Amino acid sequence: MTPSTEVPVSAPIADLETDSLLGTFPEGPRLVGTECGQCGRTMIGTRVVCSSCVSREVSRVALPSTGVLYSFTRLHVGVEGVRPIGYIDLDDDVRTLADLREGDTPLQPGIPVVLGVEGDQWFFAPVAGE
Amino acid sequence: MTENVFVISAAMIPFGKHRSSSYVGLGVSPLIDALQGAGIQKSDVDAVYVGHSYGGMMTGQRITKEIGLGTVPTVNVDNACSSGATAMHEAWTAINQGLIDVAVVIGVEKLTQFGGGALPLSPEDREVKQGLIMPAVYAMRATRYLYESEATVEDLARVSVKARRHGALNPFAQFRKEVTVEEVLAARPVADPLTLLMCCPTGDGAAVVVLASERARARLGAPNGMRVAASVLHSGQVEEGFRDMTKPEISYQSARDAYAQAGIGPEDLDMIELHDAFSIAELVYYEAFGLTEKHSAVALLRDGRTTFGGDVVVNPSGGLLAKGHPVGASGVAQIAEAFWQLTDQAGARQIEDARWALTHVTGGGTAGLDHGACTIHIFEAA
Repeated sequence: MTPSTEVPVSAPIADLETDSLLGTFPEGPRLVGTECGQCGRTMIGTRVVCSSCVSREVSRVALPSTGVLYSFTRLHVGVEGVRPIGYIDLDDDVRTLADLREGDTPLQPGIPVVLGVEGDQWFFAPVAGE
Repeated sequence: MTENVFVISAAMIPFGKHRSSSYVGLGVSPLIDALQGAGIQKSDVDAVYVGHSYGGMMTGQRITKEIGLGTVPTVNVDNACSSGATAMHEAWTAINQGLIDVAVVIGVEKLTQFGGGALPLSPEDREVKQGLIMPAVYAMRATRYLYESEATVEDLARVSVKARRHGALNPFAQFRKEVTVEEVLAARPVADPLTLLMCCPTGDGAAVVVLASERARARLGAPNGMRVAASVLHSGQVEEGFRDMTKPEISYQSARDAYAQAGIGPEDLDMIELHDAFSIAELVYYEAFGLTEKHSAVALLRDGRTTFGGDVVVNPSGGLLAKGHPVGASGVAQIAEAFWQLTDQAGARQIEDARWALTHVTGGGTAGLDHGACTIHIFEAA
Protein backbone atom coordinates (compact mmCIF):
# COMPACT_ATOMS: atom_id res chain seq x y z
CA MET A 1 0.00 0.00 0.00
CA THR A 2 1.28 3.45 -0.86
CA PRO A 3 0.86 6.01 1.90
CA SER A 4 -1.09 9.05 0.78
CA THR A 5 1.16 11.44 2.74
CA GLU A 6 4.72 11.22 3.96
CA VAL A 7 5.36 11.73 7.68
CA PRO A 8 8.41 13.78 8.67
CA VAL A 9 11.36 11.77 9.94
CA SER A 10 12.58 13.69 12.97
CA ALA A 11 16.35 13.77 13.26
CA PRO A 12 18.43 13.65 16.43
CA ILE A 13 20.50 16.74 17.19
CA ALA A 14 24.22 16.10 17.64
CA ASP A 15 24.46 18.53 20.53
CA LEU A 16 27.21 16.60 22.29
CA GLU A 17 29.61 17.47 19.45
CA THR A 18 29.01 21.21 19.71
CA ASP A 19 28.88 22.03 23.40
CA SER A 20 32.00 24.20 23.71
CA LEU A 21 31.11 27.77 24.56
CA LEU A 22 34.39 29.24 23.29
CA GLY A 23 34.88 29.63 19.52
CA THR A 24 37.25 31.24 17.03
CA PHE A 25 35.89 34.14 14.98
CA PRO A 26 37.42 36.79 12.68
CA GLU A 27 37.44 39.19 15.63
CA GLY A 28 39.26 36.64 17.81
CA PRO A 29 38.17 34.16 20.45
CA ARG A 30 34.60 34.82 21.57
CA LEU A 31 31.77 33.01 23.28
CA VAL A 32 29.63 31.15 20.77
CA GLY A 33 26.08 32.32 20.32
CA THR A 34 23.20 31.53 18.03
CA GLU A 35 21.11 34.19 16.33
CA CYS A 36 17.60 33.57 15.06
CA GLY A 37 17.06 34.65 11.45
CA GLN A 38 13.31 35.00 12.03
CA CYS A 39 12.90 36.97 15.27
CA GLY A 40 16.48 38.14 15.88
CA ARG A 41 16.80 36.62 19.35
CA THR A 42 20.38 35.80 20.33
CA MET A 43 21.09 32.86 22.59
CA ILE A 44 24.14 31.45 24.37
CA GLY A 45 25.76 28.36 22.84
CA THR A 46 25.08 26.35 19.71
CA ARG A 47 21.39 25.82 19.03
CA VAL A 48 19.43 24.46 16.11
CA VAL A 49 16.12 26.04 17.10
CA CYS A 50 15.11 29.44 18.47
CA SER A 51 13.67 29.17 22.00
CA SER A 52 11.45 32.20 21.32
CA CYS A 53 9.85 31.62 17.89
CA VAL A 54 10.85 27.96 17.27
CA SER A 55 12.41 28.86 13.92
CA ARG A 56 15.20 26.61 12.65
CA GLU A 57 16.70 29.44 10.62
CA VAL A 58 19.47 30.10 13.10
CA SER A 59 23.14 30.92 12.62
CA ARG A 60 26.32 30.84 14.66
CA VAL A 61 27.52 34.24 15.88
CA ALA A 62 30.25 35.66 18.07
CA LEU A 63 28.84 37.07 21.30
CA PRO A 64 30.07 40.46 22.56
CA SER A 65 33.20 40.30 24.68
CA THR A 66 31.87 42.90 27.11
CA GLY A 67 28.99 43.01 29.51
CA VAL A 68 27.85 43.80 33.04
CA LEU A 69 28.23 41.57 36.10
CA TYR A 70 24.69 40.80 37.31
CA SER A 71 25.68 38.86 40.42
CA PHE A 72 28.45 36.63 41.67
CA THR A 73 29.63 34.33 44.43
CA ARG A 74 32.92 32.90 45.61
CA LEU A 75 32.57 29.13 45.82
CA HIS A 76 34.35 27.45 48.71
CA VAL A 77 33.11 23.91 48.11
CA GLY A 78 33.76 21.41 45.34
CA VAL A 79 36.87 23.35 44.20
CA GLU A 80 40.51 23.82 45.13
CA GLY A 81 40.72 27.08 47.05
CA VAL A 82 38.13 29.68 46.17
CA ARG A 83 36.40 29.97 42.80
CA PRO A 84 34.60 33.22 41.91
CA ILE A 85 31.77 32.74 39.40
CA GLY A 86 28.99 35.01 38.25
CA TYR A 87 26.27 35.79 35.78
CA ILE A 88 27.25 38.25 33.04
CA ASP A 89 24.68 40.15 31.00
CA LEU A 90 26.46 40.56 27.67
CA ASP A 91 25.85 43.68 25.62
CA ASP A 92 23.31 41.91 23.36
CA ASP A 93 21.09 40.83 26.30
CA VAL A 94 22.43 37.31 26.53
CA ARG A 95 23.21 36.06 30.03
CA THR A 96 26.05 33.65 30.62
CA LEU A 97 27.53 31.96 33.63
CA ALA A 98 31.28 32.59 33.78
CA ASP A 99 34.36 32.15 35.87
CA LEU A 100 35.56 35.49 37.19
CA ARG A 101 39.06 36.87 37.76
CA GLU A 102 39.55 39.21 40.64
CA GLY A 103 41.54 42.35 39.91
CA ASP A 104 42.06 45.81 41.37
CA THR A 105 38.34 46.55 41.05
CA PRO A 106 36.40 44.63 43.70
CA LEU A 107 33.68 42.36 42.34
CA GLN A 108 30.26 43.94 42.71
CA PRO A 109 26.94 43.66 40.86
CA GLY A 110 26.71 46.23 38.09
CA ILE A 111 30.40 46.58 37.22
CA PRO A 112 31.50 46.33 33.56
CA VAL A 113 33.42 43.17 32.73
CA VAL A 114 35.36 41.90 29.73
CA LEU A 115 36.13 38.44 28.33
CA GLY A 116 39.64 37.08 28.88
CA VAL A 117 41.07 33.95 27.23
CA GLU A 118 44.13 31.92 28.20
CA GLY A 119 44.52 28.81 26.04
CA ASP A 120 41.17 27.04 26.11
CA GLN A 121 40.24 28.67 29.45
CA TRP A 122 37.99 31.70 29.40
CA PHE A 123 36.73 34.04 32.10
CA PHE A 124 35.45 37.53 32.68
CA ALA A 125 37.31 40.21 34.63
CA PRO A 126 36.48 43.77 35.69
CA VAL A 127 37.27 46.29 32.92
CA ALA A 128 40.61 47.93 33.76
CA GLY A 129 40.41 51.53 34.95
CA GLU A 130 36.71 51.42 35.80
CA MET B 1 -18.16 18.56 38.14
CA THR B 2 -15.04 18.39 40.24
CA GLU B 3 -14.65 16.64 43.58
CA ASN B 4 -13.44 18.06 46.87
CA VAL B 5 -10.22 16.34 47.93
CA PHE B 6 -9.17 15.80 51.54
CA VAL B 7 -5.90 14.81 53.18
CA ILE B 8 -7.11 12.27 55.77
CA SER B 9 -3.78 11.07 57.17
CA ALA B 10 -0.06 11.81 57.29
CA ALA B 11 3.04 10.04 58.55
CA MET B 12 6.79 10.48 58.23
CA ILE B 13 10.08 9.37 59.66
CA PRO B 14 12.36 11.97 61.26
CA PHE B 15 14.69 13.34 58.58
CA GLY B 16 18.35 12.56 59.12
CA LYS B 17 21.27 10.43 58.03
CA HIS B 18 19.68 6.98 58.01
CA ARG B 19 22.68 5.17 56.54
CA SER B 20 21.31 1.71 57.37
CA SER B 21 18.08 2.22 55.44
CA SER B 22 17.36 1.79 51.72
CA TYR B 23 14.54 3.62 49.90
CA VAL B 24 12.34 0.70 50.97
CA GLY B 25 13.56 0.94 54.54
CA LEU B 26 12.80 4.65 54.59
CA GLY B 27 9.35 4.38 53.01
CA VAL B 28 7.58 1.33 54.41
CA SER B 29 6.97 2.48 58.01
CA PRO B 30 5.32 5.81 57.16
CA LEU B 31 3.27 4.03 54.49
CA ILE B 32 1.87 1.60 57.07
CA ASP B 33 1.36 4.37 59.63
CA ALA B 34 -0.43 6.62 57.13
CA LEU B 35 -2.87 3.86 56.11
CA GLN B 36 -3.48 3.10 59.78
CA GLY B 37 -4.00 6.78 60.58
CA ALA B 38 -6.60 7.00 57.83
CA GLY B 39 -8.31 3.91 59.23
CA ILE B 40 -8.31 2.24 55.81
CA GLN B 41 -7.10 -1.04 54.33
CA LYS B 42 -4.60 -1.37 51.49
CA SER B 43 -7.49 -2.70 49.39
CA ASP B 44 -9.16 0.72 49.69
CA VAL B 45 -6.30 2.41 47.77
CA ASP B 46 -7.04 3.24 44.11
CA ALA B 47 -3.59 4.56 43.11
CA VAL B 48 -0.14 5.35 44.49
CA TYR B 49 1.95 8.39 43.50
CA VAL B 50 5.62 8.42 44.48
CA GLY B 51 7.97 11.41 44.32
CA HIS B 52 11.73 10.84 44.28
CA SER B 53 14.71 12.00 42.24
CA TYR B 54 17.49 9.52 42.92
CA GLY B 55 15.68 6.29 43.84
CA GLY B 56 16.18 4.53 40.54
CA MET B 57 13.73 2.32 38.69
CA MET B 58 10.42 1.38 40.31
CA THR B 59 11.12 3.05 43.63
CA GLY B 60 7.40 3.18 44.40
CA GLN B 61 6.72 -0.45 43.56
CA ARG B 62 9.74 -1.55 45.60
CA ILE B 63 8.18 0.12 48.64
CA THR B 64 4.51 -0.85 48.11
CA LYS B 65 5.24 -4.52 47.37
CA GLU B 66 6.59 -4.88 50.91
CA ILE B 67 3.02 -4.57 52.18
CA GLY B 68 1.40 -6.29 49.21
CA LEU B 69 -0.10 -3.08 47.86
CA GLY B 70 -0.10 -3.85 44.15
CA THR B 71 -2.34 -4.16 41.10
CA VAL B 72 -3.47 -0.52 41.27
CA PRO B 73 -1.49 2.08 39.28
CA THR B 74 1.79 3.23 40.85
CA VAL B 75 3.22 6.38 39.28
CA ASN B 76 6.84 7.38 39.93
CA VAL B 77 7.38 11.12 39.60
CA ASP B 78 10.61 13.11 39.24
CA ASN B 79 10.57 16.89 39.47
CA ALA B 80 13.72 17.37 41.57
CA CYS B 81 12.88 19.03 44.92
CA SER B 82 9.28 19.33 43.75
CA SER B 83 8.94 15.57 43.14
CA GLY B 84 6.87 14.80 46.23
CA ALA B 85 4.58 17.79 45.78
CA THR B 86 4.21 16.95 42.10
CA ALA B 87 3.13 13.43 43.08
CA MET B 88 0.60 15.13 45.39
CA HIS B 89 -0.63 17.31 42.52
CA GLU B 90 -1.11 14.25 40.30
CA ALA B 91 -3.03 12.43 43.03
CA TRP B 92 -5.18 15.49 43.66
CA THR B 93 -5.92 15.83 39.95
CA ALA B 94 -7.09 12.24 39.66
CA ILE B 95 -9.47 12.53 42.62
CA ASN B 96 -10.59 16.04 41.72
CA GLN B 97 -11.53 14.82 38.26
CA GLY B 98 -13.48 11.90 39.71
CA LEU B 99 -11.20 9.25 38.23
CA ILE B 100 -10.34 7.66 41.58
CA ASP B 101 -11.43 8.03 45.23
CA VAL B 102 -8.43 7.18 47.42
CA ALA B 103 -4.75 7.84 46.73
CA VAL B 104 -1.52 7.33 48.63
CA VAL B 105 1.25 9.87 48.08
CA ILE B 106 4.81 8.93 49.03
CA GLY B 107 7.81 11.25 49.04
CA VAL B 108 11.12 9.53 49.62
CA GLU B 109 14.82 10.24 49.16
CA LYS B 110 18.18 8.92 50.30
CA LEU B 111 20.88 11.55 49.90
CA THR B 112 23.47 9.85 52.09
CA GLN B 113 24.07 7.54 49.10
CA PHE B 114 26.15 10.40 47.65
CA GLY B 115 28.41 10.78 50.66
CA GLY B 116 27.72 14.48 51.21
CA GLY B 117 28.32 17.72 49.34
CA ALA B 118 26.05 19.60 46.97
CA LEU B 119 23.21 17.83 45.19
CA PRO B 120 24.25 16.07 41.96
CA LEU B 121 22.61 17.92 39.04
CA SER B 122 22.15 16.75 35.44
CA PRO B 123 25.58 16.52 33.78
CA GLU B 124 23.89 17.33 30.47
CA ASP B 125 23.06 20.89 31.57
CA ARG B 126 25.19 23.68 30.09
CA GLU B 127 25.76 25.50 33.37
CA VAL B 128 26.29 22.30 35.34
CA LYS B 129 29.10 21.50 32.89
CA GLN B 130 30.56 24.88 33.82
CA GLY B 131 30.53 23.85 37.46
CA LEU B 132 27.27 25.31 38.71
CA ILE B 133 25.86 23.85 41.94
CA MET B 134 22.69 24.83 43.78
CA PRO B 135 24.47 26.73 46.59
CA ALA B 136 25.98 28.98 43.90
CA VAL B 137 22.58 29.74 42.38
CA TYR B 138 21.16 30.84 45.72
CA ALA B 139 24.38 32.62 46.66
CA MET B 140 24.13 34.76 43.52
CA ARG B 141 20.49 35.43 44.34
CA ALA B 142 21.64 36.51 47.81
CA THR B 143 24.45 38.74 46.52
CA ARG B 144 22.03 40.55 44.23
CA TYR B 145 19.31 40.81 46.91
CA LEU B 146 21.75 42.32 49.42
CA TYR B 147 22.95 44.71 46.70
CA GLU B 148 19.44 45.90 45.80
CA SER B 149 17.76 45.99 49.22
CA GLU B 150 18.45 47.01 52.79
CA ALA B 151 18.90 43.39 53.84
CA THR B 152 22.23 42.44 55.40
CA VAL B 153 24.12 39.21 55.83
CA GLU B 154 22.88 39.26 59.45
CA ASP B 155 19.33 38.98 58.08
CA LEU B 156 20.34 35.86 56.16
CA ALA B 157 21.61 34.49 59.47
CA ARG B 158 18.35 35.44 61.23
CA VAL B 159 16.44 33.18 58.82
CA SER B 160 18.57 30.24 59.94
CA VAL B 161 18.20 31.19 63.61
CA LYS B 162 14.40 31.19 63.27
CA ALA B 163 14.44 27.88 61.38
CA ARG B 164 16.53 26.21 64.07
CA ARG B 165 14.33 27.64 66.84
CA HIS B 166 11.29 26.11 65.16
CA GLY B 167 13.10 22.84 64.41
CA ALA B 168 14.04 22.49 68.08
CA LEU B 169 10.33 21.96 68.75
CA ASN B 170 9.89 19.35 66.01
CA PRO B 171 10.65 15.67 66.72
CA PHE B 172 10.82 15.06 62.93
CA ALA B 173 13.61 17.64 62.36
CA GLN B 174 17.18 16.68 61.41
CA PHE B 175 18.59 19.59 63.48
CA ARG B 176 17.04 20.21 66.90
CA LYS B 177 19.74 22.46 68.32
CA GLU B 178 19.27 26.24 68.30
CA VAL B 179 21.96 28.51 66.85
CA THR B 180 22.82 32.20 67.20
CA VAL B 181 23.40 34.84 64.52
CA GLU B 182 27.08 34.83 65.47
CA GLU B 183 27.35 31.06 65.05
CA VAL B 184 25.67 31.19 61.64
CA LEU B 185 28.01 33.94 60.43
CA ALA B 186 31.09 32.17 61.78
CA ALA B 187 30.24 28.84 60.15
CA ARG B 188 32.32 27.53 57.25
CA PRO B 189 31.74 29.53 54.04
CA VAL B 190 30.04 27.55 51.27
CA ALA B 191 29.29 30.13 48.58
CA ASP B 192 29.58 33.77 49.63
CA PRO B 193 27.59 35.21 51.33
CA LEU B 194 26.12 31.84 52.37
CA THR B 195 27.72 29.90 55.22
CA LEU B 196 27.09 26.24 55.98
CA LEU B 197 24.36 27.13 58.50
CA MET B 198 22.49 29.08 55.79
CA CYS B 199 22.26 25.90 53.67
CA CYS B 200 19.89 22.99 54.16
CA PRO B 201 21.59 19.75 55.19
CA THR B 202 21.73 16.55 53.15
CA GLY B 203 19.88 13.62 54.62
CA ASP B 204 17.37 10.85 54.13
CA GLY B 205 13.65 10.82 54.67
CA ALA B 206 10.20 9.67 53.72
CA ALA B 207 6.72 11.08 54.22
CA VAL B 208 3.32 9.73 53.24
CA VAL B 209 -0.14 11.27 53.02
CA VAL B 210 -3.47 9.67 52.16
CA LEU B 211 -6.02 11.56 50.04
CA ALA B 212 -9.70 10.82 49.68
CA SER B 213 -12.72 12.24 47.92
CA GLU B 214 -15.55 13.50 50.10
CA ARG B 215 -17.70 10.45 49.38
CA ALA B 216 -14.84 8.02 50.05
CA ARG B 217 -14.10 9.79 53.30
CA ALA B 218 -17.71 9.26 54.39
CA ARG B 219 -17.87 5.68 53.09
CA LEU B 220 -14.68 4.69 54.88
CA GLY B 221 -15.48 6.59 58.09
CA ALA B 222 -12.10 8.33 57.75
CA PRO B 223 -11.01 11.40 59.75
CA ASN B 224 -12.12 14.83 58.46
CA GLY B 225 -8.52 15.91 57.92
CA MET B 226 -7.97 18.99 55.78
CA ARG B 227 -9.39 20.09 52.42
CA VAL B 228 -7.10 20.72 49.47
CA ALA B 229 -8.15 24.24 48.50
CA ALA B 230 -5.56 24.66 45.75
CA SER B 231 -3.04 22.50 43.93
CA VAL B 232 -0.84 24.27 41.42
CA LEU B 233 2.15 23.06 39.41
CA HIS B 234 4.21 25.34 37.17
CA SER B 235 7.29 24.77 35.03
CA GLY B 236 10.06 27.28 34.47
CA GLN B 237 10.10 29.40 31.32
CA VAL B 238 13.42 29.90 29.59
CA GLU B 239 15.00 33.37 29.58
CA GLU B 240 18.03 33.80 27.34
CA GLY B 241 18.86 37.29 28.57
CA PHE B 242 18.27 39.37 31.70
CA ARG B 243 16.47 37.70 34.58
CA ASP B 244 15.66 39.32 37.94
CA MET B 245 16.94 36.66 40.35
CA THR B 246 15.37 38.48 43.30
CA LYS B 247 11.92 38.00 41.76
CA PRO B 248 11.63 34.31 40.86
CA GLU B 249 8.67 34.45 38.52
CA ILE B 250 7.78 30.77 38.80
CA SER B 251 6.91 31.21 42.49
CA TYR B 252 5.10 34.53 41.95
CA GLN B 253 2.92 33.00 39.24
CA SER B 254 2.25 29.78 41.13
CA ALA B 255 1.20 31.75 44.24
CA ARG B 256 -1.09 33.98 42.19
CA ASP B 257 -2.82 30.93 40.68
CA ALA B 258 -3.04 29.11 44.03
CA TYR B 259 -4.69 32.08 45.77
CA ALA B 260 -7.17 32.37 42.89
CA GLN B 261 -8.00 28.67 43.07
CA ALA B 262 -8.45 28.76 46.85
CA GLY B 263 -10.34 32.04 46.86
CA ILE B 264 -8.18 33.48 49.65
CA GLY B 265 -5.25 35.88 49.95
CA PRO B 266 -1.98 35.94 51.86
CA GLU B 267 -3.64 37.76 54.77
CA ASP B 268 -5.79 34.66 55.42
CA LEU B 269 -2.88 32.26 55.93
CA ASP B 270 -2.03 30.95 59.40
CA MET B 271 1.08 29.09 58.30
CA ILE B 272 3.39 28.57 55.35
CA GLU B 273 5.89 25.81 54.69
CA LEU B 274 8.17 27.27 52.03
CA HIS B 275 11.25 26.12 50.13
CA ASP B 276 14.04 27.55 52.30
CA ALA B 277 16.79 25.42 50.78
CA PHE B 278 19.09 28.39 51.48
CA SER B 279 18.25 31.24 53.83
CA ILE B 280 17.96 33.88 51.08
CA ALA B 281 15.03 31.93 49.63
CA GLU B 282 12.81 32.67 52.61
CA LEU B 283 13.12 36.43 52.15
CA VAL B 284 12.48 36.26 48.43
CA TYR B 285 9.43 34.05 48.94
CA TYR B 286 7.80 36.35 51.52
CA GLU B 287 7.62 38.76 48.61
CA ALA B 288 6.57 36.15 46.04
CA PHE B 289 3.62 35.13 48.22
CA GLY B 290 2.45 38.70 48.72
CA LEU B 291 3.21 38.90 52.45
CA THR B 292 5.04 42.15 51.71
CA GLU B 293 6.40 44.30 48.88
CA LYS B 294 9.52 43.49 46.89
CA HIS B 295 12.76 44.17 48.85
CA SER B 296 10.94 44.62 52.17
CA ALA B 297 10.94 41.08 53.53
CA VAL B 298 13.47 41.72 56.29
CA ALA B 299 11.04 43.92 58.21
CA LEU B 300 8.71 40.92 58.66
CA LEU B 301 11.58 38.75 59.81
CA ARG B 302 13.15 41.29 62.17
CA ASP B 303 9.77 42.12 63.74
CA GLY B 304 8.96 38.47 64.43
CA ARG B 305 5.87 38.53 62.25
CA THR B 306 6.71 35.17 60.63
CA THR B 307 7.31 33.15 63.79
CA PHE B 308 4.99 31.84 66.51
CA GLY B 309 2.78 34.66 67.75
CA GLY B 310 3.21 36.62 64.50
CA ASP B 311 0.88 37.23 61.53
CA VAL B 312 1.72 33.96 59.80
CA VAL B 313 4.12 31.27 61.02
CA VAL B 314 6.60 30.49 58.25
CA ASN B 315 8.11 27.01 58.45
CA PRO B 316 6.80 25.95 61.88
CA SER B 317 8.48 22.58 61.19
CA GLY B 318 11.91 24.21 60.97
CA GLY B 319 11.75 24.15 57.19
CA LEU B 320 14.36 22.68 54.92
CA LEU B 321 17.10 24.46 56.90
CA ALA B 322 16.35 22.64 60.17
CA LYS B 323 13.95 19.81 59.39
CA GLY B 324 16.17 18.74 56.49
CA HIS B 325 15.72 18.35 52.76
CA PRO B 326 15.71 14.84 51.34
CA VAL B 327 14.71 16.23 47.94
CA GLY B 328 11.76 14.06 46.84
CA ALA B 329 10.42 13.72 50.39
CA SER B 330 10.26 17.43 51.23
CA GLY B 331 7.03 18.34 49.42
CA VAL B 332 5.10 15.57 51.13
CA ALA B 333 6.69 16.35 54.51
CA GLN B 334 5.49 19.95 54.19
CA ILE B 335 1.95 18.66 53.62
CA ALA B 336 2.29 16.37 56.64
CA GLU B 337 3.24 19.44 58.72
CA ALA B 338 0.22 21.35 57.43
CA PHE B 339 -1.96 18.32 58.23
CA TRP B 340 -0.76 18.11 61.81
CA GLN B 341 -1.11 21.87 62.30
CA LEU B 342 -4.64 22.07 60.83
CA THR B 343 -5.79 18.98 62.77
CA ASP B 344 -4.33 20.23 66.06
CA GLN B 345 -1.72 17.46 66.37
CA ALA B 346 1.50 19.51 66.15
CA GLY B 347 2.41 19.28 69.83
CA ALA B 348 4.90 21.85 71.12
CA ARG B 349 4.88 23.76 67.82
CA GLN B 350 1.08 23.90 67.44
CA ILE B 351 -0.21 27.15 65.93
CA GLU B 352 -3.35 28.17 67.77
CA ASP B 353 -6.58 27.92 65.75
CA ALA B 354 -4.70 27.26 62.52
CA ARG B 355 -7.16 27.14 59.63
CA TRP B 356 -5.31 27.97 56.40
CA ALA B 357 -1.91 26.60 55.31
CA LEU B 358 0.22 27.05 52.20
CA THR B 359 3.04 24.71 51.15
CA HIS B 360 5.61 25.54 48.46
CA VAL B 361 8.51 23.70 46.83
CA THR B 362 10.49 24.58 43.76
CA GLY B 363 12.71 22.15 41.93
CA GLY B 364 15.84 22.03 39.92
CA GLY B 365 18.79 23.99 38.68
CA THR B 366 18.56 24.24 34.90
CA ALA B 367 20.32 26.79 32.70
CA GLY B 368 18.01 29.58 31.55
CA LEU B 369 15.23 28.69 33.99
CA ASP B 370 14.41 30.34 37.30
CA HIS B 371 13.64 26.84 38.58
CA GLY B 372 12.46 23.79 36.69
CA ALA B 373 9.29 23.26 38.71
CA CYS B 374 7.20 24.94 41.39
CA THR B 375 4.35 23.37 43.32
CA ILE B 376 2.03 25.25 45.68
CA HIS B 377 -0.78 23.78 47.72
CA ILE B 378 -3.27 25.56 49.96
CA PHE B 379 -5.18 23.66 52.64
CA GLU B 380 -8.17 24.48 54.84
CA ALA B 381 -8.99 22.75 58.11
CA ALA B 382 -12.01 20.51 57.57
